[in-house]
Amino acid sequence: MSDNTISKDAVVIERTFEAAVDLIWQMWTQPEHFKKWYGPKGFTIPVAEMDVRVGGKRLVCMEMQRPDGNMKMWTTGIHTTVIPNEHLGYTESMADEKGNVVSPSAMGMPEGYPAATEVTVLLEDLGGRTKMVMTHAGMPAGSGADGGWNQAFDKLVDHIKAVSNNK
Amino acid sequence: MRSDDDKLSQTFAALANSTRRAILARLAEGEATVNELAEPFSMSLPAISKHIRVLEHAGLITQGQKAQYRPCTIDVTPLEEISKWTEQYRHIWDASFDRMDNYINQLNNQENKNE
Repeated sequence: MSDNTISKDAVVIERTFEAAVDLIWQMWTQPEHFKKWYGPKGFTIPVAEMDVRVGGKRLVCMEMQRPDGNMKMWTTGIHTTVIPNEHLGYTESMADEKGNVVSPSAMGMPEGYPAATEVTVLLEDLGGRTKMVMTHAGMPAGSGADGGWNQAFDKLVDHIKAVSNNK
Repeated sequence: MRSDDDKLSQTFAALANSTRRAILARLAEGEATVNELAEPFSMSLPAISKHIRVLEHAGLITQGQKAQYRPCTIDVTPLEEISKWTEQYRHIWDASFDRMDNYINQLNNQENKNE
């Protein structure tokens, strides 16, 4: 089994930006910057509220213009880690426009679909440039939003890799 | 698509339980009998068997038919499906970070003009 068949975490993306670390931090934590780049292609971000402190809430709206009317998707979450210019962590769930969490099945997703995901952003100051490692991990319904599932999944995948490598 | 989604749901649902994850972690080290799997838990054999059936139903483990003790073996195929599913997020993020890059360039250019 290659390392690509199972990623240790859900999605891990590493990038280096030609910008100082405090600007990249602002990209993530200041709504006027965040709205400029966040979201899938074709979507705009009409709402981005973020109370950037541990336990503080987020509410983001993504909107797509379509011939048959605009489609809006709302997500909410809680900031789990806030270390300026270093480490940002937050959870993310489907929500309504008031920020109430909506279960994935109510959104037409199949039962068992991840109820929440967790985004972790780690920044490293390279002196005018910034290395960013972003992790986006899924947490299935019923597992709680404590990241325990991910750790367990990591361990499991590590085990499998170790065993496969020994064969 | 529908049946793929259902399979994925089964995998996620099967993994959303700490006992079942512990069973999988144990099986990642090698096959084991139901009795061996039950050992670390203060749980009845029927309760463990129930968890094993959920994992089996999700295709995460197979149980041998031949030997009398019917050892369980892990099957990682459904885990690979989860991995594929997460790949769609990768494309979204990659495109977003491209936009962030462009936006930063715009900001830098503006700053240079103002100087």
